[in-house]
Amino acid sequence: MTDAVHLARHPVALRGPEPVVISAAAVASAFGRGVEPLLSAVLDGAPGFRAVRRFDVAQRRVGVAATLPGSPSLGDELDRVIGEACDEAVLSPALRAQSPLYLAVHGDPDLPRVSGAEAGRHGADAFARSVAKRSGLSDETARAYTSACVAASTAVADAAAAVARGRVSRVVVAAGYLVDPDQFALFDAGRALAPDGRVRPFSARRGGLLLGDGMGAVVIESASAAARRGVKPLARLAGWGRTGDAYHVCRPRPDGAGLARAITAAAQRASIRAEAIGYVNAHGSGTAHSDAAEAAALHSALGESAETVPVSSTKSVHGQALEAGALVELIVTLHTLRAGQLPVNAGYLGPDEECRLNLVLAPGQTRSIDYALSINSAFGGANTALLVGAP
Amino acid sequence: MIPLVSPNTIGDAPSVRVIATPPAVTSLAGRAEAAGFAVVAASTWPQSPADIAPPAVAGFVTSSFSPLAIEVARRCLEQRANSMAGTAETEASSTAVIIASSLGDIAGARHVAQTVDAGTRVGPLLFFQCVPNAVAGHIAARWGLVGPVICLGDERSALDAAGLLIEDVDAGAVLLIRVEQAATADEPDRAEAVLLTASAPAHERSRA
Repeated sequence: MTDAVHLARHPVALRGPEPVVISAAAVASAFGRGVEPLLSAVLDGAPGFRAVRRFDVAQRRVGVAATLPGSPSLGDELDRVIGEACDEAVLSPALRAQSPLYLAVHGDPDLPRVSGAEAGRHGADAFARSVAKRSGLSDETARAYTSACVAASTAVADAAAAVARGRVSRVVVAAGYLVDPDQFALFDAGRALAPDGRVRPFSARRGGLLLGDGMGAVVIESASAAARRGVKPLARLAGWGRTGDAYHVCRPRPDGAGLARAITAAAQRASIRAEAIGYVNAHGSGTAHSDAAEAAALHSALGESAETVPVSSTKSVHGQALEAGALVELIVTLHTLRAGQLPVNAGYLGPDEECRLNLVLAPGQTRSIDYALSINSAFGGANTALLVGAP
Repeated sequence: MIPLVSPNTIGDAPSVRVIATPPAVTSLAGRAEAAGFAVVAASTWPQSPADIAPPAVAGFVTSSFSPLAIEVARRCLEQRANSMAGTAETEASSTAVIIASSLGDIAGARHVAQTVDAGTRVGPLLFFQCVPNAVAGHIAARWGLVGPVICLGDERSALDAAGLLIEDVDAGAVLLIRVEQAATADEPDRAEAVLLTASAPAHERSRA
């Protein structure tokens, strides 16, 4: 079966009937605030990794990341991207007040260093409510997603499911990660950071990931709700899938079966065949096991299309933004869908037989794209797939 | 009417005792049933005065967060063999794992912060447990649960997410684990787990 997504033995994924769209998106990255500097970097394949100056890395094995200058505040940056997305979506104060916030974050950055008695006010849920309140969104229904590298994509999938079922008209999904000394120390201790200072997804001699700042916000709503305001969507959120590997605490299933099921579920919900997908923004962390498993998942889910569909991991340019990474990558993906210009898989040194993919290795490639896929995996064997279609 | 479950009777018991008019819904199981789920199995920590510290788990160090989640999941899922008898194999295996926690692994996060602030190196094992997904993955692998893995900051959102996963057939059942570590020395760690489905199996309804 080469022209259809494999179903395995799992039931067909369902969805509610309401069409779901992304009506606005705002982003910030190491390249600056706004989508243009990020798009310029990923289309050129120009990585943003440089020596970390935000905190002391003298004790670390690796000392580079992709960061904005200085020490920005996560709360301030989230407020800004959420405000930009809501403005772009032409959301009135009344509509904002009705809109839940699904916020993907590691947690309140202050929590580890507040006293015991204060800790209760610094939970992830309280942090989400405070961001929602400042942004004029519904703080009562705000929630925090803390599912590591699939936190933001899970939030998007949950938002899409709720909108499709008519539970809500709209959800604002936001995410933020700013490279910090604690996570940096942990990733360094786990020898997860690339010692040569480059992220080389799906490449021979890839050596690991590098962290990067990332903030994003998208407005996900029913097509009818956007139409009522006269807002032309950026893209349709055509399909979504989330699965677990049931394999290991931190390693992915080598055969990629869990991620393949997530891709299958997304394609089922979009009612499309594998060859309709014109671009894949891969998780592509640049680590040996994860990239090989991801390539296996793409072959399993897409069949022969996996040999030809253009694939890139833009983490090779903007770095790994942890809980926010999937939202930054979704925003890159939907702009790729709209412009047809393919982001580059930077850092490539040569082929790896375990990663037989049609990688985008040079700038300037264009293609007409009807559907684009953004996939992510995380510790705990969590997988997500988000499928966007031309509006 | 779906009965509420006494918080004092959930745990290792193979079946739940039903009380007629509970004064308040103080358990995750009760709140899940009030939200319309069938609670197939449930467990708590601490369940008795003997619950001082959860059993140690290889690979998880420094903090009780992951061992607590693993222990309440075990207590809950060991009831599954009986309570999900007759359930379709795909429903049993496509169980999602959702972890709800406001503070997350606060003991682990504080340890890392203190180590970083002291200018020393953190232990490599801490990398593998720095996100709640890790223990969710441990539980999923131990029990063969291939549904989605999701971590949220509060229980209400977790129940809402669980309902959509079941309705859209992303999961046949949901193992929802709530862990709140003690933030101060005079508080106990607390954890609960429930195995949820959309509706009660026939034999459970007849028992109630």
